[in-house]
Amino acid sequence: MNINAATPKSTAGIVWPALPEPRAAALLALQYQLEQTEWWSAEALREAQMNQLGALLHHAYETIPFYRKRLSAAGYQPNKPLTAEIFARIPLLRRSEIQAQGKALLSQQVHPAHGRVTTGVTSGSMGRPITYFGTELAQYFWQAFTLREHVWHGRDIMGRMAAIRSELDDAVAPTWGPPTSMVFPTVSCATLGVRTDVSAQLDWLLKHEVEYLLSYPTNVRALAEASLARKVQLNRLLEVRTLGEMVDPDLRALCRQAWGVGLVDIYSAREVGYLALQCPDHEHYHVQSENVLVEVLDDHDNPCAVGEIGRVVVSTLNNFAMPLIRYEILDHAEVGASCPCGRGLPVLKRILGRQRNMVTFPNGHRHWPSTGYKEWSTRLPILQAQIVQRSLTIVEAKLVPTRPLTPADETEFAAILHRSLGYPFEIVFSYHQKIPRSAGGKFEDFLSEVG
Amino acid sequence: MPMIRSRVPGLIWPGLPGPYGDAHLALLWQLERSQWWRADVLHAHQLRQLAVVLAHAAKNVPFYRAKLAGMDLAACATSEGWAGLPILTRSDIQAAGAQLRAEAIPREHGRFHEIQTSGSTGKPIRAFGSDITSFFWNVLTLRGHLWHKHDFSGKLASIRVFDEGVGSPPKGMSVPAWGHATDVAWITGPGALLNLATASVSQQAEWLQREAPDYLLTHPSNLAALVREMGPRPAVLPNLREVWTIAESLDANVRRFVEEEWQLRVVDTYSSRECGYLATQCPMSDHYHVHSESVLVEVLDDAGQPVKPGEVGRVLISTLHNYATPLLRYEIGDYAEVGAPCPCGRGLPTLSRIVGRQRNMLTLPDGEKRWPRCGYDQFMDIVPVRQLRLVQRSLHTIDAEIVTERPLTESESAALVGIIHEALGHPFEIRLDYVAEIPRGPGGKFEEFLSAIDRASESTET
Repeated sequence: MNINAATPKSTAGIVWPALPEPRAAALLALQYQLEQTEWWSAEALREAQMNQLGALLHHAYETIPFYRKRLSAAGYQPNKPLTAEIFARIPLLRRSEIQAQGKALLSQQVHPAHGRVTTGVTSGSMGRPITYFGTELAQYFWQAFTLREHVWHGRDIMGRMAAIRSELDDAVAPTWGPPTSMVFPTVSCATLGVRTDVSAQLDWLLKHEVEYLLSYPTNVRALAEASLARKVQLNRLLEVRTLGEMVDPDLRALCRQAWGVGLVDIYSAREVGYLALQCPDHEHYHVQSENVLVEVLDDHDNPCAVGEIGRVVVSTLNNFAMPLIRYEILDHAEVGASCPCGRGLPVLKRILGRQRNMVTFPNGHRHWPSTGYKEWSTRLPILQAQIVQRSLTIVEAKLVPTRPLTPADETEFAAILHRSLGYPFEIVFSYHQKIPRSAGGKFEDFLSEVG
Repeated sequence: MPMIRSRVPGLIWPGLPGPYGDAHLALLWQLERSQWWRADVLHAHQLRQLAVVLAHAAKNVPFYRAKLAGMDLAACATSEGWAGLPILTRSDIQAAGAQLRAEAIPREHGRFHEIQTSGSTGKPIRAFGSDITSFFWNVLTLRGHLWHKHDFSGKLASIRVFDEGVGSPPKGMSVPAWGHATDVAWITGPGALLNLATASVSQQAEWLQREAPDYLLTHPSNLAALVREMGPRPAVLPNLREVWTIAESLDANVRRFVEEEWQLRVVDTYSSRECGYLATQCPMSDHYHVHSESVLVEVLDDAGQPVKPGEVGRVLISTLHNYATPLLRYEIGDYAEVGAPCPCGRGLPTLSRIVGRQRNMLTLPDGEKRWPRCGYDQFMDIVPVRQLRLVQRSLHTIDAEIVTERPLTESESAALVGIIHEALGHPFEIRLDYVAEIPRGPGGKFEEFLSAIDRASESTET
């Protein structure tokens, strides 16, 4: 049953149309609104965002000394409407500032209507986790955008879900969980920790026969390859859903090859919620403008034009506990053209990952590299690889081989890597039993320690 | 861009309207989808809901407890079984009295409220609604606004019957917003009310000129009179974008006359006090979409069989959510023409015309019955008649009640009789009856044709 044709859970002895209980009604009410706003023009969306940011900045100015100082310096006056010019003068908020400020970024006067203040810690893939605060209201928005993602992609609520992520036990929950199960009758969701051996994961998936698989792109890649290698199919699978890492274009092709299904990616971050969701009709992403204002800025902090890649800077619209205003989240994205689907929500063509995933040439040039995965995985006895740039001229190739590499293998690997990275770096080989995932369960196949 | 009202301090957009507004928007979210479903899918959902209503009625409503005793209710709530349920007539409702009121309803349905139809010509009927029926009324009001993309920032003028003392001419009454339905979640422009029961057409024209609304809501007959009074596209109504009609059948002649004279669109709604909104004009055409999420509408021929598209039949209504007085296969007293599937793509069934009530039916000498063309106002340019109503007294005789400024000349009388003959399609004997005024019936309704030879069917009020 497609979620768009399903009847929500109902009360009042009425079965159709449903009268959902208040929390579910609130989620559907926001869906109704989002289904209007997503078709607004970019200008209308921007105007609404600036109105909302005006209210948030006013709150931040009045209740958070850190922001009062910062906003005043940018020329912000609480009694005047917020303009784009003033907004653009607000300095970018660095991760290091959030770490350094700690609770100084927390408002002490959140209106009770926003609910309790909640807190969490980001995964801190590079060992720099940040503590963030939110509200129950911000959680409600998080849930509403989760639901929008299901609605956009017309999921079958009678389909079984599997989630292979960090911090999950091998278990089966009777429903997909909130928010979807609050609103609709859903079926089971099986969970498994991402550190489980890939072959065991595949066995587990074969056992559970799910319609949807949610995991990290690198894990999905490993599973798809294992499926192909073992010549096993996930017969009931309808779609792969990914989050948490960047998606290589060839991963989509790999999913089609292995399982005959498409891939739908989600761009979110714990501290800000959903930034962008994949378009229902295309492989690019729509910014969730009702949740965040996303800027993509070049090296001079000017907005990037369509086709340009820049740093993602995000401002949350509804978190009144710890507003993040012009927060530099350290991801990069390519600005996309207006979407043919007609939605006015801005487009990100690609999410390119973090700065730490960029390679730097001795001349200072930087880009997101390919590691030549396709070539070495088919030609060399290598199970897993992680490339770490140690200096402007040296990269380390951390490899998990199936048998010791010969000097000829190493030479071939080096040649592949030189072509892929675009520069003849000096390559240092190291061999491992396993290359572990980061604390958040993510895996990065290229890491830079430069800069 | 219509902005949702927010009740959370600091949160302007997207707006969070609070639990009551949420409930409305949550239902609209569903209706946005269900309107596009195929007719058979909609019908299957209706039967699912009607099965629950039947079970409730059989358990909690004395009238139905007796009526449905021994029936296989599950079998009734099927496409095949539904026609086996007895038809509920107005006389049944009058006779049943309090027996039709549920002894208990689910807590969430809130309070009972009494619904009394005004009984234009016949005996009024009494029924009960609940907070849930009011809620559906609101949501379907909103659906109408949203279908027709009404600009909520505009000003709405309503000329209809209000309680005595409300909106009295010449000043009428100013209100800050459009009304309860829109208020639950939207911020609207102001409203202005004028009481149709006491305002003359010239007072209405002056009031409209002062108010300069963006939208006007009134009865079709009153609208025609206003257009005649004010003439083609009045410069004094520069903002007026659309007129909405309620409460009476909108004749195609009246629609055409108003749309041509005022160069704007007329949007009509078919509703009744006891059943709520039944159908609203399609945003893309002149026909009506049944609100299948609230009512099951059947249109039957004299043999009780569903009529085909293009045919006219009796309207039967089953309410899906009135647990206070469930009305199941209720013969409301209206006749309608069934329409073909709509090119707009909505699966909601269509009615191409609401042709009126049995008492508005003309009987020809050979016994054939038909609904006469109305909207004679447009012919009144030929003769100085201010108001006209035809009453059929016998198979051969029609009384034409007329209000004129002076007696008609012989040639004017002949012209008027000619116009009437053409409209009725038969050379009846026409007796001109000069009267001082033709008052509106209860509920502010005006009927241009009344049959005094067939009063079997009673009135329906909207």
